[in-house]
Amino acid sequence: MTSYALFLGCTIPARQPHYELAARKALTKLGIELVDLDNMTCCAPPPLQSIDLETSLAIAAYNICLAEEADLNIVTLCTGCFESLAMANTLLKEKEELRERVNKILLSVGKEFKGNKEVKHFLQVLMSDVGLSNIKKNITKPLNKLKVAAFSGCHLLRPSALLRFDDPERPRIFDNLIEALGAKSILYKNKLRCCGGLLRGYADDVALAIARDKIVNTTRAGADCISTLCPFCFLTLDLGQMLIKTTYKEEYNMPVIHYAELLSISLGVNPKELALDFHKVKLDPVLNKIG
Amino acid sequence: MEEAKIGVFLSDCGKQLAGILDFKGIAGYLKKVPQVSLVAVGSEFRRGQGLKTIVDAVKDGKINRVVVAENIPKLGEINIVEAVENAGLNPNFVEVIDIKDHCAWPHRDTPKEATEKAKAMLLAATERVKLAEPIEKLEFPALKSVLVVGGGLAGMQAAEDLADMGFKVYLVEKEPFLGGLAAKAGRFFPTDDCAICIQSPASDVKTITHTSRKCVYRSGFSEIPNLNVLTNSRILKVEGAPGNYKVTVERKPRYVSEEKCVVCDLCTSVCPVEVPDEYNARLKKRKAIYINTPLVYPPVYVIDAEACKFEECAKCVEVCPTKAIELSQKSEKVTLNVGSIIVATGFREYDSSVIKEYHYGEYPDVITQLELARMIDGFGPTKGMIIRPSDRKPAKRIVFVQCVGSRDRRWNPYCSSICCMISLKHATLIKSAFPDTDITICYIDIRTTGREHEYYYERAREMGIKFVKGRPTEILHDPEANLLIVDVEDELLRRFLELEADLVVLSPAMVPVEDAKQLAEVLGLELDKDGFFKEYNAKLRPTETKKRGIFICGGATFPKDAPTTSLQAHSAAVKAAKFLLSGKIVKDQKTAYVNEDYCGDCEFCPVTCPYSAITLTEKADGHFVAHVDDLLCEGCGVCVGTCPVGAIELRHLKPSQILAQMKALLSVNGTSKPLILAFCCSECGHAAVDSSGMAMLRYPANVRIMRVPCTGILQVQHILEAFKAGAQGVMIVGCKPDGCHYEVGSQKAQKKAEIAKALLKEYGIESERLEMFNLVYMEGDKFAEAARAMTEKVERLGVLQLA
Amino acid sequence: MAEGIQKKTSTKDFAKEITGRLGGETITLCYQCGTCAASCPVAKITDKYNPREIIRLALLGLKDEVLSGGAIWLCSSCYNCQERCPQKVEIADVIYALRNIAIREGNMPNIYAEFAAGLMSEGRIVPISKFLEKKRAEFGLPPLKPAGVEAVRKILSTAEFDKIQFKKGEAQ
Repeated sequence: MTSYALFLGCTIPARQPHYELAARKALTKLGIELVDLDNMTCCAPPPLQSIDLETSLAIAAYNICLAEEADLNIVTLCTGCFESLAMANTLLKEKEELRERVNKILLSVGKEFKGNKEVKHFLQVLMSDVGLSNIKKNITKPLNKLKVAAFSGCHLLRPSALLRFDDPERPRIFDNLIEALGAKSILYKNKLRCCGGLLRGYADDVALAIARDKIVNTTRAGADCISTLCPFCFLTLDLGQMLIKTTYKEEYNMPVIHYAELLSISLGVNPKELALDFHKVKLDPVLNKIG
Repeated sequence: MEEAKIGVFLSDCGKQLAGILDFKGIAGYLKKVPQVSLVAVGSEFRRGQGLKTIVDAVKDGKINRVVVAENIPKLGEINIVEAVENAGLNPNFVEVIDIKDHCAWPHRDTPKEATEKAKAMLLAATERVKLAEPIEKLEFPALKSVLVVGGGLAGMQAAEDLADMGFKVYLVEKEPFLGGLAAKAGRFFPTDDCAICIQSPASDVKTITHTSRKCVYRSGFSEIPNLNVLTNSRILKVEGAPGNYKVTVERKPRYVSEEKCVVCDLCTSVCPVEVPDEYNARLKKRKAIYINTPLVYPPVYVIDAEACKFEECAKCVEVCPTKAIELSQKSEKVTLNVGSIIVATGFREYDSSVIKEYHYGEYPDVITQLELARMIDGFGPTKGMIIRPSDRKPAKRIVFVQCVGSRDRRWNPYCSSICCMISLKHATLIKSAFPDTDITICYIDIRTTGREHEYYYERAREMGIKFVKGRPTEILHDPEANLLIVDVEDELLRRFLELEADLVVLSPAMVPVEDAKQLAEVLGLELDKDGFFKEYNAKLRPTETKKRGIFICGGATFPKDAPTTSLQAHSAAVKAAKFLLSGKIVKDQKTAYVNEDYCGDCEFCPVTCPYSAITLTEKADGHFVAHVDDLLCEGCGVCVGTCPVGAIELRHLKPSQILAQMKALLSVNGTSKPLILAFCCSECGHAAVDSSGMAMLRYPANVRIMRVPCTGILQVQHILEAFKAGAQGVMIVGCKPDGCHYEVGSQKAQKKAEIAKALLKEYGIESERLEMFNLVYMEGDKFAEAARAMTEKVERLGVLQLA
Repeated sequence: MAEGIQKKTSTKDFAKEITGRLGGETITLCYQCGTCAASCPVAKITDKYNPREIIRLALLGLKDEVLSGGAIWLCSSCYNCQERCPQKVEIADVIYALRNIAIREGNMPNIYAEFAAGLMSEGRIVPISKFLEKKRAEFGLPPLKPAGVEAVRKILSTAEFDKIQFKKGEAQ
């Protein structure tokens, strides 16, 4: 049984308990122990990096120190958290002068970044600790060739020099994990392009226009649903369709579903146990197709 | 050896220096120095009557050592040494010093002190020649034959030059045919001459013509006397020495006899095997037996050993009218004896498939310039038609993308220099032949720097070729329309464009050939940080390498256009010719030698020698000693500075000479200031001292200059001896660390200085009494300043008391 | 425009100020090829934002225009530009550096002030409602572990984050 310190971040516990629920159920079923540590904080994502980059690295490092002290590697659900923590982890491991500066700040809370732990996204844990064949073995409800528009979001892959997760131009890991569930990961225009989520609250019109593009492209490609990994992407595309309806007077009804939810369902978890009411765009067509 | 009888000749430069230096006093002093048998003062001694005085004194046996204080020492030295040698004296017994720039001029405000310093300088010179031993002239064989590696534009031109000059030339080419990139690329900018012209040297063999160009097949290239062409061959091993190399070449079997093939093409018509034609960008297929283009050199077919079925088939053997096909041919090794080697291996296109956003290798309609060149070539796979590889339809909308993998810090940071012109060339050729083609070139900058290149660019615009200033981020493919879309920002319009294209042509970076590294190892050549063969000095020694006798030219040193390639080819040929012309290499034995009894086979010197002149040889008793190759040794002395036991010495500057000179320079003070000894390297360091004098700058006379070949010769010992001999301060003046004329010496000296400083501290001596300076000729002012500052500093530190 | 560049005063050393900040070290490598602009999802949707132009303005020293304009807040941090840049300019990180400088000079959109406030009061930029915390048990989720608010506050104070004037700025 491999154990990881689960890093939840802010948005998932605050807005998307269904993501956390599905992830816990799925990972536990696959033999991963998730440990909840005390005192974890915000990962210090782009909005905070925009205020002060170095302080944000210190906050990220603080969370990594908690895991170092518990002798556990970190797993995240939100890809935004993955990027913040993994980027900080790599930068501080590799840049001595920066590490010294950040450790000076961490001294004030009695912590020291040692750089002896890894930060992983749960997809990496699925690949390295469980493996595709094991996942397939545990599937009790294959997804019946569901046409999934895979959308990993930006921060799973980029900046690739620091994240080193997958080939940033030809990523395959997410698509392989979707197809392992018996679904089909389809091609669609501008698949790797940002959803615009981080602009919400500052330039809502721009953010919505970018989100709409994604909904249009996935619809045109004939997707049954969009599968996400990031709570921001989810919000932008799910809640976003409500705003698209009022702003653009267009209705797409494109279900948006987290990969963790698809994984849970295919592993046999009853959809009724997954708090799917949190989805704004109803998932009935997806659930019906899966059967 | 008979006792030294030293003649000292002092030039007062037409009495100019007499106003400062007391020549009478100096002469009187010198006459009292033991073994000085003649002192003469005159206007100048490097020519005319003055020179005759020296020569006569030698011939009459009055003197057997010569010291001359001459203005413009180097010029003087050449004349004097030659004259003296002709008179029968060994050139190592001559020492020429400069009391004008190194004494009279800089110390003209303190003539008494200058005079005393002059005495010290002359005393040191007498010490040097007193202890000198005769130096031999060595002769090494220089075979009048040259190996040219690479049969492209550069190789062919260099080979022809040398063959015409009477040298025996071996032109070795790894492909089955000559021509290289030039043959593939077709027309050449800016005059659009065709490949057939541009490869060959222009001469019409065996007739004296002055035509500007000649098709290579009509030039009779391979009939040039003395020229041996070995295709399908590569270099395995190189042994020997400059002037006398032994090269092992492996010749791959062609399976077709060069003597019998009549190029009738019957064999290809019966060959059952078809493979994609790599040469022609896989736009068509070829047979297992083939030639690349209708005109090839040598005009002999070749069999692709991996595709051919050999004896299982042998259909070609049956039909060949001259029985030229020999399936039993084997690889053979050939040994060539040559005096010199010229590397002309060219360059190739970078593999753009790593730049994934451009989808080269994935989308068939994304091609490279060289692949487009094959289409443009009328003899090529599409007979001059520009088509889309995916569906063979004509390409009516073409987008060129510049700087693919070039000027890109992720792949190749440099600019490949010719790609802008290549795009313009291809665009204008296509537009001329097919005016209804829509062509756009996406660029970061358009670089048309050569002669007539700007007119080329102008013509392109006049023909309606469009230019977008912007580097595409991605090339997309629309599967329904089977169209490519180039996603680019037009920066000048400040608008995003999605350019539709039938064909996208990438301008990839130009990089060294795949086996450059391996060849560099075989030849012992250095590659620069981009993997190209390194020129010794691009300004002053172009096409030369650090290895005497091995030259490089053409694209192998950096991507370049045809005119520049030609230039370099001819340069390399001239240099090889110069090197070998007299049939022998004559060199003074001003080299290092090893005292084998002391040598502890520690391996320091072979590793440090910048010229790889030292090797370890095994003695009969099993232990190793260092051995210096006189031909490769440059006499810099870095090895002397490196050897921990003093087992290696320079013939022309022995340890006893160094010590004696040091003592002499410090033996006469005449100033109230502390004596400072400045070790100056004979290149930049000494030149800085020269220039400070020539520019009439001032520094005090307590600073005494000790010239060494390279500051790398200095051991910590020398520095400590200087203090013992009476120096209150020591300066080391060498070349800039990254510009040492002997490659590593200056950096080695820096290390020694650091160690010496630490030792001085241990002895309770202030380490600031020792300083190293890195100066060039132009920094004479910095030298004067350094000398003054050092003097002041040492004065402040007080008198050094050694126990 | 007849006034051209004279109207805006160029700040000498603005480029140096940027390269001296974490994230901004590579800005001077830019040779204006436009790859970043073409890779940018925001630039494709609105002409209010173009990363190449922002860098150009910054390198020309037009500090005021860069820092008080609204453009630098429109980057969605997708990092596509940084992936594709042939000079390895860390464009998205440069935007962070520019934002960091802008905030110190008193220009900051309201939303960022809210984020900072959330962080300083609860250790999270998105506060978690008590209501939702209670609902967790209903779903079968374990109770949330307490956040390290004290630690965050200490870190922010040591890093002098709290000294940054979180003025509600005038960014468009």
